[in-house]
Amino acid sequence: FKFNDGIIVSVDSRSTMGAYIASGTVKKVIEINPFLLGTMAGGAADCSFWERNLGVQCRMYELRNGRRISVAAASKLLANTMNSYRGYGLSMGTMITGWDETGPQLYYVDNDGTRLKGKYFSVGSGSTYAYGVLDSFYRDDLTVEEAIDLGRRAIYHATHRDAYSGGINNLYHVTKEGWKKIHAIDVNDMHYEFAEEKKNSMSS
Amino acid sequence: MAPFRTQHQTNRNAAGGPSLPMMPPIIHSSEGPVMAKADTIDHGVTEAPYERGFSPYDFNGGTTLAIAGPDYAVVAADTRLSSGYEILSRNVSKLHALTDGCVLGSAGCKTDVDQLRSVLDIKQKIYHHNHRKQMSTPSVAQMLGNTLYYKRFFPYYAFNVLGGVDAEGKGAVYSYDAIGSFERTGYSATGSGQAYIIPLLDNVIGHKNRADENRDLPAEEVVEIVKDAFVTAGERDIYTGDAVEIMVITKDGIQTTTFDLKRD
Repeated sequence: FKFNDGIIVSVDSRSTMGAYIASGTVKKVIEINPFLLGTMAGGAADCSFWERNLGVQCRMYELRNGRRISVAAASKLLANTMNSYRGYGLSMGTMITGWDETGPQLYYVDNDGTRLKGKYFSVGSGSTYAYGVLDSFYRDDLTVEEAIDLGRRAIYHATHRDAYSGGINNLYHVTKEGWKKIHAIDVNDMHYEFAEEKKNSMSS
Repeated sequence: MAPFRTQHQTNRNAAGGPSLPMMPPIIHSSEGPVMAKADTIDHGVTEAPYERGFSPYDFNGGTTLAIAGPDYAVVAADTRLSSGYEILSRNVSKLHALTDGCVLGSAGCKTDVDQLRSVLDIKQKIYHHNHRKQMSTPSVAQMLGNTLYYKRFFPYYAFNVLGGVDAEGKGAVYSYDAIGSFERTGYSATGSGQAYIIPLLDNVIGHKNRADENRDLPAEEVVEIVKDAFVTAGERDIYTGDAVEIMVITKDGIQTTTFDLKRD
């Protein structure tokens, strides 16, 4: 989600093939380049291949035009690619985010070519749970710490209730200088931390 | 007459209550068309539809696994080639050394596996000619991922696991899905026995759900664990058995050993 001091990108790390958990350590945030991040939801191969391809196209833009590509343009490139493969069965729901000359930007792009600009999005099988938390507590003027906390709580609640989400919460913060990885916390540990917190707040 | 026709005409289930009308079961062409009323204009196909299908894929079975250590990688695969209920060979290798520093293990459809290897070998050779050096394991990993994705709409039916040492000499294992999504992990298993072996590796190699202290395992111990893992898989998976080929890759090269399994 986007706030005054940048963008928080928070993801889980579970990948499933039907009911089998193929991996609990998938990197669902794809570092397209030092100032652009993309998230992964849907088909893992589709996301990683096309976001890597987007990285190539962004680099070519930089070389041809002598400046960094805007997030709007980068997300448009990806959306156009998805549009041209429409009907072929690609599965990809991603958020392209970065900080360019116009400030922090966040775009949602998916496999049928949808491209939406927004302040915050939640994507994936557990998205409804994360939206519940985000909608309740999101404000433009969150401090960086509050924002990081909101990001990890949203993912925690999604992993708690959605069987297809779990593993580790990887959280990135995008600023003017580029993105920075903030933490990688096992959602299981967060469970006990929040349970403690609930117990303490109940007793006080 | 064929028994199923009388069965599916009743709308009553065994308890005598009403139930949904049953559709005539679809029979696939390998079972042959049913000799229904040959005298009707549709040759009985409406009553007993059957589906003709040609699948370009076959599943030849097998399990492969790879484990990364601090300065080595172990890649192993069973040597059984099967098709349906038959064993075609007890002595076919599923492992292929792509460079001196990495080995690709693939299970799935043998013809796709062979073709994929051919393609990777050629690409690797061209790289070697152009850059005057062998491909490093992470580069091979990315190349394999891309090669698989280029056939995104008619995939290679190959479940791959790549094991080797990276440029710094540390063990590296990469696991793949059929269309090229990959991730570097500490251990991986793939193929028909995957679901039997991975939980074992999660506990012993990944140290999950264990209270004792985690320690680095030497290559010899890991090889013993690999043998146990295949014995386990061979007990419960019909496609895994006969023998295991184990390759240990270090910066000094690749060593191969074979270990016999039950042939049942």
